[in-house]
Formats: sequence, C-alpha cells, structure tokens
Amino acid sequence: KSISGVSSGCQQGGCLTCSDYNGCLSCKPRFFMHLKRIGMKQIGVCMTSCPPGFYGTRSPERNTCTKCRSECDSCFDKNFCTRCRAGFYLHLGKCQESCPDSMVHNDTQRECVLS
Amino acid sequence: RPCTSGQGQSTAVCSPSCSCDEDGGADCSGRGLTAVPTGLSTFTYYLDLSMNNITELPANVFKSFPYMEELRLAGNDLTFIHPEALSGLHQLKVLMLQNNQLKSVPSAALKNLQSLQSLRLDANHITTVPDESFQGLQQLRHLWLDDNHLTQVPVGSLTHQANLQALTLALNRITYIPANAFANLTSLVVLHLHNNRIREIASNSFAGLVNLETLDLNFNNLMVFPKPIEALPKLKELGFHSNGISSIPEGAFHNNPLLRTIHLYDNPLSFVGTTAFQNLSELHSLILRGANKMRDFPVLTGTKNLESLTLSGTKISSLPMDLCENLRLLRTLDLSYNEIEQLPSFQGCIHIQEISFQHNKIQQIDRDTFQSLSALHLLDLSRNQIQVIHRDAFLTLTSLNNLDLSMNSLATIPSRGLSAVSQLKLSGNPQMKNMLTAKDLPKLMSISVPYAYQCCAFVGCDSSSKDSSMKKSAGAIVGDDGEQISMVMHCSPSPGALKPCEHLLGNWMIRLTVWF
Repeated sequence: KSISGVSSGCQQGGCLTCSDYNGCLSCKPRFFMHLKRIGMKQIGVCMTSCPPGFYGTRSPERNTCTKCRSECDSCFDKNFCTRCRAGFYLHLGKCQESCPDSMVHNDTQRECVLS
Repeated sequence: RPCTSGQGQSTAVCSPSCSCDEDGGADCSGRGLTAVPTGLSTFTYYLDLSMNNITELPANVFKSFPYMEELRLAGNDLTFIHPEALSGLHQLKVLMLQNNQLKSVPSAALKNLQSLQSLRLDANHITTVPDESFQGLQQLRHLWLDDNHLTQVPVGSLTHQANLQALTLALNRITYIPANAFANLTSLVVLHLHNNRIREIASNSFAGLVNLETLDLNFNNLMVFPKPIEALPKLKELGFHSNGISSIPEGAFHNNPLLRTIHLYDNPLSFVGTTAFQNLSELHSLILRGANKMRDFPVLTGTKNLESLTLSGTKISSLPMDLCENLRLLRTLDLSYNEIEQLPSFQGCIHIQEISFQHNKIQQIDRDTFQSLSALHLLDLSRNQIQVIHRDAFLTLTSLNNLDLSMNSLATIPSRGLSAVSQLKLSGNPQMKNMLTAKDLPKLMSISVPYAYQCCAFVGCDSSSKDSSMKKSAGAIVGDDGEQISMVMHCSPSPGALKPCEHLLGNWMIRLTVWF
C-alpha cells in the first residue's frame, strides 16, 4: 500500500509504506525496521532480522533494531554478545580482552575455550 | 573451511538465481524463488534464501553442503520441513527460520544438527514444542521462540539444554510459569518473557538458573511481586514494569545483590517495604512513583552507588538525617509530591546536581540544608509552605542557575548566593511585596514575580512595549570574546497600563474606576 504522493516503487518485501527518497516508512507486521545510513542519507529498511552489529526487539506495536555494545560484532540483546570484535573473546555473552582462568582464547572464533 | 577463493582447483560456482562471493557465500535472497536453487558450490558455507516464496523443504535438499555454517530461510512461507531436509549439515551453526508459517517446531529435521549454536524460530505460528525438539542440539546457545502462539513454557524441550545461554519466549500467550520450568538451564544468562499473559509464577520456577543475569517480565499480568527471583544470585537486569503489582515486600531483592537496573514503573504500587532496596551496591538508578501507601523513606544502607533516586507520590513525611551518608554518589534527587515537612542537611551529597522537593510541606530552609553543594544547578522547592529561608542558605551554591521557589509563603528571599541564577521563579508568594534588586542577580535571564511592578527592577517600564520579552534595563552582557551581547530578559507578569502597581490599588474594580 503506498501513501498518496509516495511512490510504490520500493522493492523491499517487508515494506508497508515507503517513498523513493526515504525507503520504507513503515514495515509489515513482524518485520524489523532499520535505518540504514547511506552517505549523508538514512533510508528505512524492513528486514526479517537486524543487520550485524544490531539486535532486534519485538513488541506488539513495532519491531526495532538497536546497536549492540561496541565490543560485539553481533548480539542477542544489549547485554549479551554472540560474536566479538577483533581483539575480544566471547564467554557467556561477554566480550572481554582476556579469558577467565582455565580457558584460552581461540582467535578464529574469537571465543574463550577450555584449555 | 576448505579454501574456495582461487587458491585451490574449485572455481566460484554459483546459481544463476544467486550472487556468490569467492569466500563461499551465496546470496539468493528476495528473488521470488519457490525452491532451493541448484548449481551452488559444494563449498558454500553461507546461504541466504530469505525473503523468497519457498513453502516446503524436501528431503536431502541441502545434502551437498557439508561445509555450510549459516543457512537463512527467514521470510518465506515455510509450512513443512521434511525430517531429512537438513540432513548432511554437520557444521551448521546458525539456522534462521523466523518469519515463516510453521505451526510446530520441526523436531525431526533438527535432530542431527550437532554443531548448531543459534536457532531462530521467532515470528512463526508455533503452538507446540515437542519434548524432543532440541534433543540433538547439544551446542545450542541462542534460541528465539518469541512472537509465536505458545500458551505454556516448553519445559520438556528445555530439559537437556545445559549449554543454552540466551532464550526468548516473549510475545507469546504464556499465563503461568511452573515449578522448575528452567531447572537444567545452568548456563542461561538471558531470559526474555515480556509481552506474555503471565499471572502467576510458581514458587521455585527459577530454580537452577544460577547464571541468569537478565530477566525480562515486562508487560505481563502479574499481580504479586515475583518472589521466585530469590533463586537468581547473579541477576543484574530485572524488568517487571507494566504489570499489576501493588506492593514490593520487605527484603524483596535480598538474594539479588548484583542488581544494576530494576524497571518497575507502570505498576499500581501502593506499598514498598522499607528494606526492599537495601544492600544493592550495584544499583545506579531507582525510580518509584505513586506508592501512595508508603510512609517511611526506604532504608538504603549498602545501596551506596545510587546516582539517581526518584521517589514521588508517597505519604513519606520525614527523611533520615543521615540520608547522604549512604548516597554519596547521588546526582539527581526527585522527592516531589510527598508530604515531607522538614529537610535534613544534604551536605554529604557532594555530587548532587538536581534536587526537586516540589509539592511537599516544607516550611523552612536552614543555613546548612544545601551547604557546600557546589555542583547543584537545579533546585525546585515550589508548591511548599516555606516561610523562612536562612540568608546564607544559598551562599555556597556556586553553580545554582535554576531556582524555583514559586507557590510558597515567602515574604523575602536571601540576596546572597544567587550570582549564577539565570532562571528564578517567585510567583505565588503573595506576601512578597518588596522590590527586588537586579544587582543580586547578574546572570538572570528569566524571572517570574508575584507582582507586575516588581518586573520594573529588571526590565524597562516603558508602557508602549507590548512584547513581554523586553530589553534588559541594566545594559548588555560582555561575551567571552569581549563582544557585547544584548540580553533579552523575560519577566512575568510584565507591567503595563492596567497593571502598574498591583498592591497599591488592590483589586480590579478600584483600578478600572481610577482608569475611567
């Protein structure tokens, strides 16, 4: 469905309303709305899961993408990382620069593993 | 993973329906596909088939991808996954099945994915989770079952998930948490249960969650404080806002010493136990509004890192004299809309920046009430019964720039200690009839006064000026770089033809008579 004066030319499947300039203005139910930055511009994108570096929060009204903590490449929520940035190692949802005792870090997985 | 990008014999094989990169990634998303495309490289490790029109996955459809680690099938119309559809995916770590039409967890299809770590089943129509659903998934860490039609916690299917670390069952229709519902989830760190219909939580329902740090019970139908949280020694983030809880018992969080945030707003709270928030040394912010049966200020011993305290809408009438002994790091204090009659000294709260005692029953401000609070920049004492303020009460408040004394019983205010004040509210003090002097308020930008004529001390009394913001009669301010900035002063009620001297002529009738 497109708003009058708003082009229906948006290609994305999850869009409910959109405009050529701003992309998706609202999403179909159960899709996550993400504001993607392209140069100086931000366009709305509707997705089934948030992009890397963001986590999704579902709610009855809308589903939003929120940035993970800086040390995480991907995360389950704001306090639980699922993959770490280079130089950090994952243990029980935390990205730390060193691993607990009795564990060593695995550089390819960026995780702490039992030694 | 075998090397695929131009180092070995294999070439970047791809399907015409997809775009493939040299690392073994294949993006076939949003192409209107109704089946898994053929012709993809056997070394494909990442396959994105999301946002197509695939309704079924037949047997062995991914048989030739032994190196696949991530498979995305979100946003299709999947209703059926053949028990052998996912066989052969021994290294699969991430499987995304969200936003489909599944009515039940495809247990049989999942059984051999022994490397699977992340499984997304959110935003489907799942009503049942067979007990054997996740049995083969010994490496499972993250499980999304939110936004489905579950009416109960899938206890049986979680029994063998000792490695599960993050689980969301949010946005379902769960009404009750049974005893030992998560008993074997000893590695679980995050549990989201928000937006369900939970009315009751059995007494030992959280037993076994020894590593749980985040528990989200927001937007449910709880009528009683979730006491079972006492089984959670590592809890840091707790949310139960937007429920129907009316009281927080004594010692409510006695077994949760690591709590950092507690979201409890939008509950019809009427009573809070005085020892409820004791010994929470990691708590930084506490917001309690509307507990209208609460009479005693909470005991906050041991809750020593609190930076923000809001406690309003209660029947608290007195504060502990040693309040700042426990709250040395306090930055904002909002005790508005209570029944406080007398203030202790806040001298120990050396970091405090904002204080609000709006709408209480305070009658006087002593010399040492706000002594040495050099960081204090906002002080709201409006809507009290203050008659006397000690002349040195504001003397040491070098940062105070916003002072609200409106709606009190003041006849006069101290002239010292207001040198940084830029906003001053004095309206609603009918006994304050004397003229104020601009020299005591060099930084003033906005003032409200009981009587219009008192504005004459701050703004030109030229009756032709209609605009309520008038040029400051005391001249301009010199900016940092020496250039003159003309100051616009807001003073209300601004004097004018009909309101020259409020207190000399008394009421409207006399003034109109004189006017005609």
